[in-house]
Amino acid sequence: MKFSLDFALSVVPVILSGLFTTLWITVAACVGASVLGFTFEILRRSNRWLGYVMRFLIDVIRSTPVLVQLYFLYFVMPFYGVTLSAVMAGVLGLSVYYSGYLAEVFKGGIDSIDTGQFEAGKALGLTRMDVVLRIVAPQMLRNVVAPMGNYFVSALKATPYLAVIAVPEMLGIALEVGANSFRYAEPMIAVGIIFLILAVGINQLVRLLEKKMLASSAR
Amino acid sequence: MEIAGILAGILEGFRVTALVTFYGMLWAVPFALIAGVLQYFTHGVTRFAVTCVIEFWRSSPVLILLFVLYYSLPSFGIRLSSMTVGAMALGLNIGGYGSQAVRAALQSLDRGQVEAGRALGLHRLHILALIELPQAAAAMMPTFVNQFIQLVKGTAIVSLITLTDMTFRAKQIAELQYNPVGVYTSLMLAYLIVCYPATLFGRYLERRVHIEQRGNREI
Repeated sequence: MKFSLDFALSVVPVILSGLFTTLWITVAACVGASVLGFTFEILRRSNRWLGYVMRFLIDVIRSTPVLVQLYFLYFVMPFYGVTLSAVMAGVLGLSVYYSGYLAEVFKGGIDSIDTGQFEAGKALGLTRMDVVLRIVAPQMLRNVVAPMGNYFVSALKATPYLAVIAVPEMLGIALEVGANSFRYAEPMIAVGIIFLILAVGINQLVRLLEKKMLASSAR
Repeated sequence: MEIAGILAGILEGFRVTALVTFYGMLWAVPFALIAGVLQYFTHGVTRFAVTCVIEFWRSSPVLILLFVLYYSLPSFGIRLSSMTVGAMALGLNIGGYGSQAVRAALQSLDRGQVEAGRALGLHRLHILALIELPQAAAAMMPTFVNQFIQLVKGTAIVSLITLTDMTFRAKQIAELQYNPVGVYTSLMLAYLIVCYPATLFGRYLERRVHIEQRGNREI
């Protein structure tokens, strides 16, 4: 079948109806991954044995494909009484996958904080929780803005995986259009161009935010 | 079937996973080296063109690249096997990331290295091949190993274009017998067996490069 530009243009609005889903899933996954990743890293540092366990957990997350993790959450969790909707499984899956990478990023960020900061917190009689949230977290954030931004863009680019568990994000819609019209080339090229524009645009936005954040924190 | 039986069934797909990884490397490594070196050498409009090509492969989500190539090439009269399409999409995507490691490693070398080569009367390409690339290789290695892991994990998506890799086998087995817990746990385990050693090796290399760099600073 010949490629038809008219058909390709006509499916663009249909695919764009999934844009909002793609975006909110990305944002939710980024927030989830950051919280989870930070928790993993703090737990890893809390005591020796828990440290080994968390280290292994982080490596397991980093050593298995996101697609397989999504299948696992979506098909296996119901057996343990946790039935997730496709969207929730997707958000949770992306959060878990990127938490492994962000934990590694946070590790580097925390390593580069001066030991004196922890000691000062202890000397002031702050609780461990206070030291972590009020002293470590803000200083770490400044060190990790750039790599965090990279993983956020990466999370956006991972949202198409959710199509395999029938989440109606942009690729999911494009596949549906293909199945209904028996023409896959046009919707695929359309969704490809949309994603390319989106990824490049958001990448620029993240770089801009990084510069702003770094400039405002430089003293 | 017990876990061992399921795992054996899944590992029947290992050959395809390994083949896609291997062919993917055949695309990724040359693309990374050529694109990285070109980006390093060129200026102005040429450099912009090279950057556009790299960004196209790097910024598009790999699943979208795969579907675009798989579904739309035939309507332009190009017929490739699923294996070729899978290896090409994954390889060029990973190669795009790799090219940035190549360029960054080349840029971080001391200018004196090139000047010394010039003073010895070497051709510019000889300087690149004999002086710059061997020294840059050490800095590139951790990223290359990490990208290799991404490639192995990425091969899971070829199960969506009907190649019988480990993920595809797992889905087949899951359909034959109602045991998602066993099947998807085994699948995670199968990828873990393949990728975990590489993850550990990557971390070891990263640490070694960090130590070397710290050594350089202290001089």
